[in-house]
Amino acid sequence: MSLLDALPTPKLRRGGCPNAVLASLSIVMLAVIWGMDAVSVAPNRIVQGTGVDVLGAIGLPGALLASLLILAIGGLASQPSRTNYAAAMGVVVLLLALMPFGLMVASHFLIDPTLPQARLGIGASYWLILFILLLCLIELRLRLALTRLWPVLILTGVGLLWWLCASLWLDDLALVQEFNARDRQFIRAVGQHIVLVGVAVGISIVLGVLLAMLMRRFRRLQKSAFAMLNFLQTIPSLALFGLLLAPLAWLAANVPVLAQLGVSGIGNTPALIALVAYSLLPIVRNTYIALEQVSPDTLEAATAMGMRRGQQFWQVRLPLALPVLLEGVRITTVQAIGLTAVAALIGAGGLGTFIFQGLGQAAMDMVLLGALPILILALLVDAALGALAEALRPGGIQ
Amino acid sequence: MIELSQVSKRFGDETAVDDINLKVAKGKFCALVGTSGCGKSTTLRMINRLIERSSGDIILDGQALEAYDPVKLRRRIGYVIQSTGLFPHWTVARNIGLVPRLLKWSADDIQARVDELMALLGLPIEEFAHKYPHQLSGGQAQRVGVARALAADPDILLMDEPFGALDPITRIKLQDELASLQSRLHKTVVFVTHDMDEALKLADHLVVMRDGRIVQQGTPLALLQHPKDLFVESLLGGLERGLKQAALTRVKDHMSSLGPTLPSQYRISADFSLRQALSMMLRDHTDRLAVVDQHDVPIGELSLRKIVKEAQLEKGSMREA
Repeated sequence: MSLLDALPTPKLRRGGCPNAVLASLSIVMLAVIWGMDAVSVAPNRIVQGTGVDVLGAIGLPGALLASLLILAIGGLASQPSRTNYAAAMGVVVLLLALMPFGLMVASHFLIDPTLPQARLGIGASYWLILFILLLCLIELRLRLALTRLWPVLILTGVGLLWWLCASLWLDDLALVQEFNARDRQFIRAVGQHIVLVGVAVGISIVLGVLLAMLMRRFRRLQKSAFAMLNFLQTIPSLALFGLLLAPLAWLAANVPVLAQLGVSGIGNTPALIALVAYSLLPIVRNTYIALEQVSPDTLEAATAMGMRRGQQFWQVRLPLALPVLLEGVRITTVQAIGLTAVAALIGAGGLGTFIFQGLGQAAMDMVLLGALPILILALLVDAALGALAEALRPGGIQ
Repeated sequence: MIELSQVSKRFGDETAVDDINLKVAKGKFCALVGTSGCGKSTTLRMINRLIERSSGDIILDGQALEAYDPVKLRRRIGYVIQSTGLFPHWTVARNIGLVPRLLKWSADDIQARVDELMALLGLPIEEFAHKYPHQLSGGQAQRVGVARALAADPDILLMDEPFGALDPITRIKLQDELASLQSRLHKTVVFVTHDMDEALKLADHLVVMRDGRIVQQGTPLALLQHPKDLFVESLLGGLERGLKQAALTRVKDHMSSLGPTLPSQYRISADFSLRQALSMMLRDHTDRLAVVDQHDVPIGELSLRKIVKEAQLEKGSMREA
């Protein structure tokens, strides 16, 4: 027996070291839950609400349950394994699903039914917990090596549950009251927003792909086109709307055909023009890079096998470029969803309307009514297009 | 049959290929060898018109190259490159079936041909047909590359350092398989390599190039015996030349019939090369080997003295000729 055999061998922990990310996230969540206001209560729409802490909102049992679940995430993460990560994922989903019920309990405790204008605001800790739980979800998706479709499915399920709770039992929630006061308007605004983004991105894809192809054909165009598009990106969105106002108004006044088509200094036309101007750069850049990055060896092989130019483009170059190209569409769409909010200022409608009206009336919950759906739309589009790009990777290459 | 006469290629002021004359007879294996940048790849790529030559004539099966539509020409010339050039977004089966698909074969014919080629190249269909190129090892990917080149049963096969990126063991295995494929299929092959052993092993006709010119061409044996200058000699392995030559000769061509003496206890198969026989003699400290057939029955004898003597005779006769 050698000396080495006599020495105690250190036991290697199965699964490696604890997951620091999840552990620290769960500690932060605990601090947030006990240290910040969970909800706020206001007697009416305009008055600033008074904050209520976690014990006041969901009582000791509720607070303990939430803390236990959060501790469980950290605990499971300290001994990483596939099963533990899957269990942690389950706990995260459970917490997300329980959050609206917490609000229900809070409204039961805190809202006086005799005051019809009284309302419950969602407090800082609620938002923070929601945000941190989403971070946990992202971390767990990576650890479990799930596709990007999973968070989309989970969040859609959770979102539906929240929607159900909100429409059935959460009448006292300020956000719900704001919605109930203008539900038709809200649906129309969502529709306008989506149509504006869709049309702008659609036009940008057609123009952008055409421009990228022209740049491939005429190399000299490349520098000036990129310079121009980069310049457009640097103009602040509000300024661009303003810049378009005068020339479009002049056109509408002097060219009757355009006026009949609905062109005017404010409204949809300038909004679309500005959105397309901003969207072109990411689309053109990604399309151009995607088409250029295809390996020259692969393309030479395509030629040598006897593929014609068109066959080469449609069967080899484009399919290989598609994931990067879609990445451009994803960036563009998310960016356009945000920009369209600003377009409300020039009368293009959309969810931005609520934001600016709410700001004008000092009603923060109305601002939220506009901002939250924009956030959700952006996240959904981001995840969905990301998942699509992933699915289209050639042969499942990561 | 491929015939290049006075072919040159200039890129600007640079002359990549300089006045080359080369004939590859139908069914022959021609290897272009030389250091990198000697113009061997350029020469190869002028044959399927990936590169257009600057001057000279190339004649393919009796017709000038210009008489062919380049796209149709390429569909009847197999092409294999070092990096395989497989399409990463297509499965193995789809990659192999490319040229038949371009030629608008029926789906059944394509399927049958793909299955046939996968069997021919030792790629089990159930295991590989649905894999993507990035899931293959280097050797497997190159097999697919060769299968794709052979798919439409072209008469001509152009190969540009096809095994250059493989590990030595896989490389030798694929070389052996290519040699056995060639002995059955009799394609007209032009093969570019910088690995002289590979060229000696596979080629019927060896072409040594340097700075865009052909320095010497002929059968591997002829080049080994009479290298034209120091460059060819060093490319052929300098002092190792004798062994390389021995590698090209089979034991059965040099064995003598069984004598009255007892055959040696050391045995060698008649199909082995003389080089392997010499190696055995060195290893086993003997100057005599018994030659056996595939059933391990002695059929002859090989002695060191005789090998050396015959090598002298060969050299003499070549001189006289």
